[in-house]
Amino acid sequence: MAILPRSSYYDKHYRQSPALIRARQPYLVRNIFTGLGLCAFTIGVYSWTINAVAQDDFSDVPIPDAPAQPPHSPHTGVEKSVSAAALDQQKAERLKS
Amino acid sequence: MQSGYTCSRCLHSLRRLTNTKTHTRGYSSISQRGGKYTSTRASVRNAPVPKLLIHRRAITSQEHQGQISIDEPPQITTSPRFKSKPSPTASGNVLLEPNNLFHHFSDSPSPDMRRRAAFMKTHAYCTHPSHHQTRMPLSPHDPEARKGAKSTQAPAFVRFECPDCGIPVSCSEEHWADDYESHMEICDTLREINEDDHDLRSGRFFPEFEYPGPQMEEAVVNMTNWDTYLYSREYQAINEERSLRQATRLLTYPVTIGSILSELSPYDFRRDGRLTIEGLKSLSALRYTLHPPRTGADGTIKGLRPSPPPVRVFILGARAESSLPREVWQQLSFLFHRVAFHLIFIGPESMANRDAEFPLPERTPGNPFGAVVEDRISHEMKISTFVEYYHTLHQAGLFHPYDPYFDCFVLFHPGLGHPASSHEWADTLPQLLETKVPIICTGYTAWDMERDRKWVEEKMGGEMDVLMEPGENKFRSLRWDLNDFDPADISCANWGVWAFRGKRYETTMKE
Repeated sequence: MAILPRSSYYDKHYRQSPALIRARQPYLVRNIFTGLGLCAFTIGVYSWTINAVAQDDFSDVPIPDAPAQPPHSPHTGVEKSVSAAALDQQKAERLKS
Repeated sequence: MQSGYTCSRCLHSLRRLTNTKTHTRGYSSISQRGGKYTSTRASVRNAPVPKLLIHRRAITSQEHQGQISIDEPPQITTSPRFKSKPSPTASGNVLLEPNNLFHHFSDSPSPDMRRRAAFMKTHAYCTHPSHHQTRMPLSPHDPEARKGAKSTQAPAFVRFECPDCGIPVSCSEEHWADDYESHMEICDTLREINEDDHDLRSGRFFPEFEYPGPQMEEAVVNMTNWDTYLYSREYQAINEERSLRQATRLLTYPVTIGSILSELSPYDFRRDGRLTIEGLKSLSALRYTLHPPRTGADGTIKGLRPSPPPVRVFILGARAESSLPREVWQQLSFLFHRVAFHLIFIGPESMANRDAEFPLPERTPGNPFGAVVEDRISHEMKISTFVEYYHTLHQAGLFHPYDPYFDCFVLFHPGLGHPASSHEWADTLPQLLETKVPIICTGYTAWDMERDRKWVEEKMGGEMDVLMEPGENKFRSLRWDLNDFDPADISCANWGVWAFRGKRYETTMKE
């Protein structure tokens, strides 16, 4: 066939013909509400999930200042050396929250 | 003579016989009735000779038997009940453009409409209350009921055409103006009728008369209303209101029957209460046959399965229904899969508008009532037409035994309680009730159906069960029709439907 079969219920710009709209009429309101309900449910699930797996908020954790002098061992990287005391403090705070 | 529908033996006898129309002459007297509803039927009977079903591919040479416009494929027939325009010109010009459909009947470009106008002006009476009555009023809504007390003038034929609807409704302009309020109720509908009638004769291409074929069983048909039915049966989209009216005018007959008998019926016991308990029982029996389970049958010898007898639909008092194109009746069989149908048209006027199929076959022992049998329509459908009263055939035991799982009676606008026709049904009705088979009745108005129901109840002394309460038919014809004998009487085919059955007693008293 030269062209794909076209339903007569859509005009040449693929808009719904009046016959199709009339045929949909008894179900239109119910379907719209069902559609809105489904969308709302989907959006709700996404937003709750994103909210739930969002990263923890560390703004209340005091970050120790970087030491002015590097301690005895020279280091090449920029990693902060954290003292054992500071680590214990963070652990305690995490356990608290 | 080529024919797709008539069996070869009938054709053979048609060719041989030269006796003409012995049957119809006796019955022509039946159509001479007055009255609102029967005159509707009488006008149907006088409706112009239609499209020839036998000469499917030939355009007839008679001047007004023209039918198909050049664009239509030859096997699509326009309605046989209505005349189409005269045979199209060689270039296929339409007679009337779609925006030019309103014409006063007397000034119409179509000769058929002018003839109808002349007929109305010599047969229809003015309905203004100042004229004497010409007939008994048939209902409280009948305009004849307003005449009587203050009537002074002799009855006059209608002469004046209303300028808004173009149909002669009054004898003079004064009476028309006087009666304006009651005319206004129907003026819009009359105008619509006017335009629809001109549209039918306009010679345009009618895509709405193309019917779809069978579809697979899984594609379920939605029978909530016309639009969902047309969409789910995959008809070509009918976007125009006028086209929808023309299409439903014909389709109302098979689809009304199908919508009641099918299990997908919109008439439910629970929802709107149209169906009664007894109705559910009767229809469940029929639906058991109409929706058979798959049997594993296929076209091979190993796939042979015993098949049940056909479902018989007896259409009694058939008039114009029997002349509907067979593609229209096949739509009934496409609603039900794996079911064979036998449509039996019975009635003195069942060969109305089928003059090409005369003379009727000979009465032989094999065909004792000279029925026209069309068994080549499809594997699933066979149509027989008997030009007889039903009680004759019942007494002869022709269709005995009746099985409520297979048989159904359908009466399209029978006018059971109508004074002019009720005596004809008086003999038939007790026999119908005795078969205990569901009887589906349609009617022109709610009052009509109530009157029929009361008549049945009185005559049968309550020995009947109502299966479906009278009410509007969801698959009524959307197109209104004019009664040439009374322009104020407009009706639409199968407006309402109800069903009843003879009362069944589970136990009987032993004397």
